[in-house]
Amino acid sequence: MITEKSRLKSLGNQLFFTGPTIIFFAIAVLIPFAYGLYLTLTDMTSPVNPIKFSGFGNYKTAFTDTAFWESMWLTVEFVLATVIIINILGFILAFLVTSGVKMQNFFRTALFTPNLIGGLILGYIWQFIFVQTLPSIGDKLGIEWLRLGWLGDEHLAFWAIVIVTIWQSAGYMMIIFVAGLVNVPKDVMEAATIDGANAWQRLRSVILPLMVPSFVVTVFLTLKNAFMVYDVNYSLTAGGPYGSTTMVSMHVVQKAFTENIYGVGQAEAIVLFIIVAVITGLQVYFSKRMEVAA
Amino acid sequence: MKKTLALFLVLLMAVALTACGGSGNSNNTAADSNGGKVNIVIVNGKGEIASQWEQAAKDFMAANPDITVEAVSGAVGETVNLLDKLTASGKTVTIAMMSPDSIVNKYKDFGIDLSNEKWNADTVYGVKDANGKIAGFPFSIEGFGLVYNKSVVEKAIGGAFDPYSINTRDKLKALLDKIQASGVKYPVAYQTENWSVANHYSTQFLNQAEDPNTIVEQLKAGKFDLASNAVWNGYYDTMDLLVSKQYNKYGERPLGKYYDDAHLSVGKGESAILFNGNWAFDSLKAVSGESFGFIPVPVDNNPDNPLNNKIAAGPTNILVINKSATAAQQEAGKKFLNWLVYDQKGQDFLVNQAQVISAFKNNPNKVTNPLGVAIAEAVQAGKTLPFSSNYVKVEDWGNILAPDIQKYIAQKESRADLAKAIETYYKNQQ
Repeated sequence: MITEKSRLKSLGNQLFFTGPTIIFFAIAVLIPFAYGLYLTLTDMTSPVNPIKFSGFGNYKTAFTDTAFWESMWLTVEFVLATVIIINILGFILAFLVTSGVKMQNFFRTALFTPNLIGGLILGYIWQFIFVQTLPSIGDKLGIEWLRLGWLGDEHLAFWAIVIVTIWQSAGYMMIIFVAGLVNVPKDVMEAATIDGANAWQRLRSVILPLMVPSFVVTVFLTLKNAFMVYDVNYSLTAGGPYGSTTMVSMHVVQKAFTENIYGVGQAEAIVLFIIVAVITGLQVYFSKRMEVAA
Repeated sequence: MKKTLALFLVLLMAVALTACGGSGNSNNTAADSNGGKVNIVIVNGKGEIASQWEQAAKDFMAANPDITVEAVSGAVGETVNLLDKLTASGKTVTIAMMSPDSIVNKYKDFGIDLSNEKWNADTVYGVKDANGKIAGFPFSIEGFGLVYNKSVVEKAIGGAFDPYSINTRDKLKALLDKIQASGVKYPVAYQTENWSVANHYSTQFLNQAEDPNTIVEQLKAGKFDLASNAVWNGYYDTMDLLVSKQYNKYGERPLGKYYDDAHLSVGKGESAILFNGNWAFDSLKAVSGESFGFIPVPVDNNPDNPLNNKIAAGPTNILVINKSATAAQQEAGKKFLNWLVYDQKGQDFLVNQAQVISAFKNNPNKVTNPLGVAIAEAVQAGKTLPFSSNYVKVEDWGNILAPDIQKYIAQKESRADLAKAIETYYKNQQ
């Protein structure tokens, strides 16, 4: 039986350990989030002007903003492309660098390095590659599809962002997969080999099921990153050409900070938050059920 | 346990929220006077002159020991407005820098009346607020037009070149042909950044009226037909020429991120002409000895049309004094503005240090960069048109209308559709 005193004591203990974290979490995340929710109910163009209460009008505007839903749809396409390719590529890379090739530690580091470069810088580097390097290579070698800058065509510009995102995160996911692969028990693998399973069967029936926990993490991370993409989008295409690569985060920023409609921008951000929370929540819930014990 | 934790979080939030509300209501006492001294905050949006701005504040304080100045500068390319940020954090900005269109749109209730200030006698560029009173102190004059590389053009025509001799579209075309004949494959490197094609290039048609506001009003009332307007069409005829496959380096795919490449091309003399303003000089990265100037953007073939003979130039950054600052702070702010105009150190800061083209006749200093010189000379010779982007909401043009204009450039939208898009935008403004 828990007495009043020991309950207090345990609360004190918990606060002692988690309190500081909670305070910073609240300052950086919870309070801005709550304040943001409050802002969606107001009509604010600038902090200089007085704030007026406007009810749920901003949400109505957000739901009828076609540009918002267009950018949302584009982001969904972006999510599909990046989540699938990054996970497949990351897994293949992890498989290769654990298979015992020469210098595999070097490859692990090299493939991970792009992740250490910030998205903004990465975008500007690749902008140079897409605008100047590739066209001059295409020009010299007569490769037609490289001759003109990719960032001027709406489809190629979209794939340019996808390529840079893959280049940035495949190495990171690879590290997570490497950890998963290394942890596949040797005895299970040995047993499978003795039972006559070939490499493909071992991969499909032993390694992949045991790797589900890694996939839960990587799919979650890639999903979330892809939905929230902003820095690469901003520095590489800035939404262009003619606004065709404006992802949903960029649309929100434009609404709130360049068109100065904070309330609507914030309301759209909340809608985005709910969509991402629901999708990633479902993903984690359902893929957790696929996990098996070795 | 979970319940207590949740309760704790809710309490924490509630406390924080009330704290937020509290700070919003309390009027800033910290930034106010202490011991007879006045504290003012002056905000500079031009990140590239941050250190000069700080120095100016120090020099001003040395001359006015009873005023303490806190100089704040934004970073180059910062998206979130510095004035908003400081205000949201509870500071009262005394002098804010903003674009001239903000004073009638976003910050229409922000500034105090400056029409009785002495400096009005020395400039024609004071910016009026929605009530028609001068509320904006013109900090810098900037202008745009066709930036050309002098040595390339002079080589092509074989002698000295007067940019004002290009006063019809045909003459511009002839010049482009000559440059091409002299061995430059693509005379034009047209960069198609959204703000450039929308805020600058596409607002030029407003200058066909003596006061560009009249056309804006007609557009809002739905009484201005763009598709049948000769000047509006004329500017796009000229644009067609500039972005054409024949002359433009990027003609085959005119959109893309070409800003740096275009400026390097013209700076190095691989191309001759691009459309931009005097700020382009920083990006041209010119080889020493190269010089640059402005050609007016021709709109038709009538050499007597003033639009063909003048360069758009006007105040681009204005200083506004906050009306919610205390009376003492406002006085100190006015003093600072006068210091910029009449004190030798202030004049030196503005032109020599910050390399800003002064809007004031009495400032004896001259900027050194060639594009600035060209604008300053045009101002002196009276060869200027209003800076047309000052008459539109630049954020809207850069965000909402720029995609349509870029689609037109990429030939994915007809000119009639573009006209409709602009007219629709204005109809929705009411």
